[in-house]
Amino acid sequence: MAAALVLSLGACGTSPETPPAPVASNVADIAAGSTYNDRDVMFLQMLVDHQQQGLQMAEIGASRATRSDVADLARAVELTQTDELAMMKNWLTEWGKPTAVDKRVSVHADHGGLPSTTDAEIDSLRTVGKAEFETAFLNLFLAHQHNAVEMAQLELDKGTNEQAKQFAERVKESRTDQVQQMLRLLNG
Amino acid sequence: MRRKIAYPLATLGMVGSTLVIASPALAHGYVSSPPSRQAQCAAGKVADCGAIQFEPQSVEAPKGSKQCNGGNAGFSVLNDNSRNWPATSVGTSVKFNWVLTARHRTATWVYYVDGAEVATFDDKNAIPEATVSHTVNLSRFPGKHTVLAVWNIGDTTNAFYSCVDLNIGGGAASAPTSTPTSAPAAKPTTAAPTAPPTTDAPTTDAPTTDAPTTAAPTVTATSSSSSATSAGGSWAAGVSYRSGDVVTYHGASYRCRQSHTSIRSWEPSMFTLALWLPL
Repeated sequence: MAAALVLSLGACGTSPETPPAPVASNVADIAAGSTYNDRDVMFLQMLVDHQQQGLQMAEIGASRATRSDVADLARAVELTQTDELAMMKNWLTEWGKPTAVDKRVSVHADHGGLPSTTDAEIDSLRTVGKAEFETAFLNLFLAHQHNAVEMAQLELDKGTNEQAKQFAERVKESRTDQVQQMLRLLNG
Repeated sequence: MRRKIAYPLATLGMVGSTLVIASPALAHGYVSSPPSRQAQCAAGKVADCGAIQFEPQSVEAPKGSKQCNGGNAGFSVLNDNSRNWPATSVGTSVKFNWVLTARHRTATWVYYVDGAEVATFDDKNAIPEATVSHTVNLSRFPGKHTVLAVWNIGDTTNAFYSCVDLNIGGGAASAPTSTPTSAPAAKPTTAAPTAPPTTDAPTTDAPTTDAPTTAAPTVTATSSSSSATSAGGSWAAGVSYRSGDVVTYHGASYRCRQSHTSIRSWEPSMFTLALWLPL
């Protein structure tokens, strides 16, 4: 299925018998396959929750940032991770698993915490003064994306589903590079 | 076609409890701005740092050290003063920003200059937020100094260490206004040739805006969107692309739909349709 989609990207619908379907299908159409373990499920459940928060932050970043380079990064993250989120939820549904985790930080805070950002911290990005916005946003999102790298590493170490592991590799790479980019944006 | 598989609730419960077991390993933090040495490594501003480049939040070691690596042998590069760590020009009152990837109960945050304690913030074993800031008066230490910032954990014997190189009173406060908007993001995998500021650079008084690093591979985005023949360059990481730019990748052409600086895994693909439209 994935291969067919890739082909359709390049071929640009030249064959006359194909209906005028949307040229490019999206990642939400990728099936995960039936081989998976608890780690795969946990990875997706954690990242779904994490990414929903991340999307809130990215949206705020894109709309409130004064600097265009910061706003561009936030918007690009928002767009790419929206597609990823749909894909992850589809995989969990495919497996008959809930797409939500029970409760996040409060329960586990004493143990170092299920890595997550609190809603209050996200809300603070809406109210922090304009002059401090970039610094506040970049620091909070740095912590958030560091967590995504950590989650991806757990999946790479212990997961079994091939699609999920390939996706974890993408998460690890992209978030690591986003961290680099954000540190440069933060410090010039 | 989707196969629904019904799993007993016990399985779900087990998945839930795994979260608790997994979490203690993830307790980390570092000073992001002004950039600590590990942040300089993670940003690619200082090359060949080793593992710390990918985990700047991991400088964990027993409490009580005065070293930049906290005595953690795996990160001894952080103690190496011959690395020409760029010193950030700041005012005399400096706001240190910590990025935490887990919230351990916190005893204290302590700041040292040249080995002497200059400020302590007592959290009384509270749980910190994901970002923590402290403003420290450093007016007694004009010029170039290395500040050691320590996060003493409340419920373990360990601490997290960050060394921050500063030029105190040497320039405007931390706002990086003169930043080149699109800093090239060198790929962190390869030992990026991010030449550290040349040793003869006048670091003492001049506002060190890290100018030398921008000389890194700034492949200017081929904004040849005019040419219909997809003559744009090949996609590469670390390039600032604008909406409308056309690139080629594996023989196909794509138009940029959202301005961004490219990174690994943001190449044109099914996963990045929001960034690159196949032509």
